[in-house]
Amino acid sequence: MLIGLKKINSYVFYILVFILAQLAWMALLGLWIYWYVSNSIIFEEVGEQLSPQLDIDSPSTFIFVGGIILIVAVAFGMSVIFRNLNVQLRLNRLYDNFIANITHELKSPLAAIQLYLETLNSRELSAENKTKFINFMMNDANRLNNLINTILEISRLEQKKIAHDYSVFNGSKIISSLIQESAEQFQLEADKIKFNGNSDSRIVIDKNAMKIVIDNLVDNAVKYSAGKPEIEVKIEDKNKRFVFEFTDKGIGVEQKEVKKIFKKFYRVSDSNIPSVKGTGLGLYWVKEIIKSHGGKIFCTSEGINKGTTFQIELPIYGVSKKQLIKNLLKMKNKRSKHKNSGNEYE
Amino acid sequence: MNKKQKILLVEDEESLAVGLQFNLEEEGYEVVHAREGKQALEFYEKENYDLIILDVMLPYLNGFEIAEIIRKTNPQLPILMLTARTRKEDKIHGLELGADDYMTKPFHLEELLLRVKGMLKRKEWYAASIDSSPVFKFGKSEINFETLVCKSGDKSIRLTPHEAMAMQYLIERKGKPVSRKELLERVWNITSEVETRTIDNFIVRLRKYFEQDPSNPQYIKSVRGIGYLFENDA
Repeated sequence: MLIGLKKINSYVFYILVFILAQLAWMALLGLWIYWYVSNSIIFEEVGEQLSPQLDIDSPSTFIFVGGIILIVAVAFGMSVIFRNLNVQLRLNRLYDNFIANITHELKSPLAAIQLYLETLNSRELSAENKTKFINFMMNDANRLNNLINTILEISRLEQKKIAHDYSVFNGSKIISSLIQESAEQFQLEADKIKFNGNSDSRIVIDKNAMKIVIDNLVDNAVKYSAGKPEIEVKIEDKNKRFVFEFTDKGIGVEQKEVKKIFKKFYRVSDSNIPSVKGTGLGLYWVKEIIKSHGGKIFCTSEGINKGTTFQIELPIYGVSKKQLIKNLLKMKNKRSKHKNSGNEYE
Repeated sequence: MNKKQKILLVEDEESLAVGLQFNLEEEGYEVVHAREGKQALEFYEKENYDLIILDVMLPYLNGFEIAEIIRKTNPQLPILMLTARTRKEDKIHGLELGADDYMTKPFHLEELLLRVKGMLKRKEWYAASIDSSPVFKFGKSEINFETLVCKSGDKSIRLTPHEAMAMQYLIERKGKPVSRKELLERVWNITSEVETRTIDNFIVRLRKYFEQDPSNPQYIKSVRGIGYLFENDA
């Protein structure tokens, strides 16, 4: 609570400084105008007496208009800086949150691994228990590895250092096969996933990146469902776009949160969530990947406990966003020339 | 040991919970495992436990909230908080809400088992010593060691478990000086990061409750170079 208070204080402090700065330079301007006006009368009088034929009227409108433009420019600049500062402050706050989450996500599997190692070291165990414990340890090591990879991959994606491997696929086929693959990994029963709709459109995707998208969506469906998750996938073409909708029957998202959940480090803080795991990176990563595919992602939810739908739009090969898709495939061709290997088009 | 001591383990991480349960059972305890906050309270209300091991980051209700709820009705049940949070504020917050001890993840198995053992031993001693007479009267004061409610004159307050234990220990050794070290070992876990200075602050607080003139104590007296002693002449 103390820390929260400190943060609010620093926020108020920045606003106060901003307002004071504005007041300061406006006051300065006022002083100058006052000085100019009071002196110009004297100048005029003195000037008229010395050389009545001199014309000093013309530059004043120019100075007046120019001055106003300058004032507007300064105010605009200041507010841009202020807005940026605001964004930074918000990001800092989210980052603190992220550090707390990541500490939990790193330390929990580490604690389990240490516990099992010390158990193995100090106790006589049956063969069955030994296998069980070793399996737990391997799972936790995997979890740590995935988490570390996520952090590294996201920073690479942000710096555009990631080498994408784009190919043309049949949209319907590739998306459903990726979802099934992911469902198997998360040990979901086959009948808990329903597929609707169809599309013959071809899409250009990086299969590995799209797998990450699907994995994150399935993972969220698992984490944010109170019982076993139920997933519905709808595939169709809409407005020259390939669209797939991924719906779970989980706890849903409040209306005010549907945009925020894609922000980096953002996590919905609500105690009615059945899992506390997570870092606030997953959906941000998903959005960035979709963006790099020239697509869009939206989240809709009818509210708490009414499930969540993620709608993903991707450009259709040969129909929409032709130039972008050409560039994506060019990247791939450049890479395959280097590797000198053929590529499978489906 | 005649009856197995029962521990409620509240932990949402499956792998950690299984490992802890196995180890605690190997030590001869009976373990009930709750996976989230609501379930923890459900289990807590159904049965009596000798100790609770409580994770902090839990779904539905976090460990701090659970500790607060438990403390309202049960001031004596030992609570060991186990958490990935390492910030000092979290630790202090946990202890203020009534946790008896606080361990951060990752932890050493042996240390955890020793702390559990120590906490249970202290609980047993406390229970045994208040068994015969839960209410103790001295001067104008009265302490109920079961409910931890004490009356001093017209004031009525509730002691924290540590305060009650300290009073209990001093009263049990009425007339004999008790060293700070002894109090530390008995009332706090020896492994806890509690300094001897803390004991002095504690005594200052206890004197405020029970002494008419705290600067000139009649009951809780200082023994120079050793520690404290409880005297009741009346």
